[in-house]
Amino acid sequence: MLTRRLAGLLLRAAVRRWPAQLRAELTREWAAELHVLARQGRRWPMLRFAASLAAGRAAAPLVDRTVLHRQLRRTAGVLLLAPPACVVVVALTGLAMGLGYGVLATRVAWATDAQLPIWTGLTAGLAVLLALAVTRAARHTVRVGALPTTLGVLLPIGATAIVVLALFATRGEGGALDLVPETLLWLALLAPALWAAGRLARRGRTRLAWLVGLLGALVAADAAVVLAVVSAIPAVPVEPVVDGLPADAVDRVSAPLWLLNCLADSSLGLPRPTDWELFLITDRVLVEPLFYLACTPYAVAYTVAVARPGPAVVPAAVPSVA
Amino acid sequence: MRLTVPVAKVLSALLAEPETPRYGLDLMGVTGLPSGTLYPVLHRLRAAGWLAADWEDVDPVTEGRPARRYYQLTGEGARAARLALAELRALAPAGRTSSGGAEPAGAPAC
Repeated sequence: MLTRRLAGLLLRAAVRRWPAQLRAELTREWAAELHVLARQGRRWPMLRFAASLAAGRAAAPLVDRTVLHRQLRRTAGVLLLAPPACVVVVALTGLAMGLGYGVLATRVAWATDAQLPIWTGLTAGLAVLLALAVTRAARHTVRVGALPTTLGVLLPIGATAIVVLALFATRGEGGALDLVPETLLWLALLAPALWAAGRLARRGRTRLAWLVGLLGALVAADAAVVLAVVSAIPAVPVEPVVDGLPADAVDRVSAPLWLLNCLADSSLGLPRPTDWELFLITDRVLVEPLFYLACTPYAVAYTVAVARPGPAVVPAAVPSVA
Repeated sequence: MRLTVPVAKVLSALLAEPETPRYGLDLMGVTGLPSGTLYPVLHRLRAAGWLAADWEDVDPVTEGRPARRYYQLTGEGARAARLALAELRALAPAGRTSSGGAEPAGAPAC
């Protein structure tokens, strides 16, 4: 009686590992075999039968191993190359902005004001192109759950950020290490946004997934900028560094817009931040918002693309079993 | 095509009497495979269209046991299985080939 119960427990554990649509039939089939073994008094074979099912692998979809390995290589390639590509995007667009400013400076008066918007525009354009390329590549990458996908996207971004910051730090750029907390905050807040986007996309709610992913990424980037500014610039005026200049202080009332202020180099028509506050903010936070902007489209695009339900599986002509 | 030892064993057992439906415990006895290996193989063969599965038409009260599920090669499955096993035999060294039966002829060792 005890062995029968134990076998029943093992069978229940085993059947839970199979796809939901198969469980009822498998339970019926295995229970029938178990019943015969029990009736014959074959206790150990009965336990072995149930234990083997509980310990064995559930059937996975038919996948050719060579295809799987190719998918794994492609996944690793996409996820590892995209973050350095974002760094290159920011660097190249910065260079292009510099060249463009050189041309504009001799011809128009607004050349200085146009620097950051040009940089932002070019970065956004290349980021979208990168996202399109990543989405295309995602068709042939491994499809896993929302959490592994999120980690797979974020860990290479974090590693790339650490490498870049370490490079700057070793070159004597002491301020590089100050960027670590805001980078960590950005990644920490981006993680739930991507996870939620992946979950929604998996349920077929692609538009909502995009909305949640992009809004979450916006909040994450904004929070990182706010952290960077409030940790470096006081809210209450202190002694000005240079006589005749306003005090180094930024009113927190405009904090939610600082990311957009940085990207547009503008107060967006609002009274805050003032020109001086905007100068202080962009003096402290210049490249980071552009890196966030470069990474966000591809991160959300990849997460949504790999989470979307795939095409119906066509029964393979050849079984491939490990 | 990639054929593993458990798959070859199951196909070989089913091909020994293609017209005879077999149930899981029976196939475990013939192939020597544990249940944890056999059932995933059966599932994959069914998904590939090589196997058909039907519930036994018996009265559980009369028989004193629940109905079992029986497996049988489909026409396409039998043809594909013969071809696959023949290809497997061709791959095996000459000294290792056998005359067939329930053992997977020429199946490579794990």
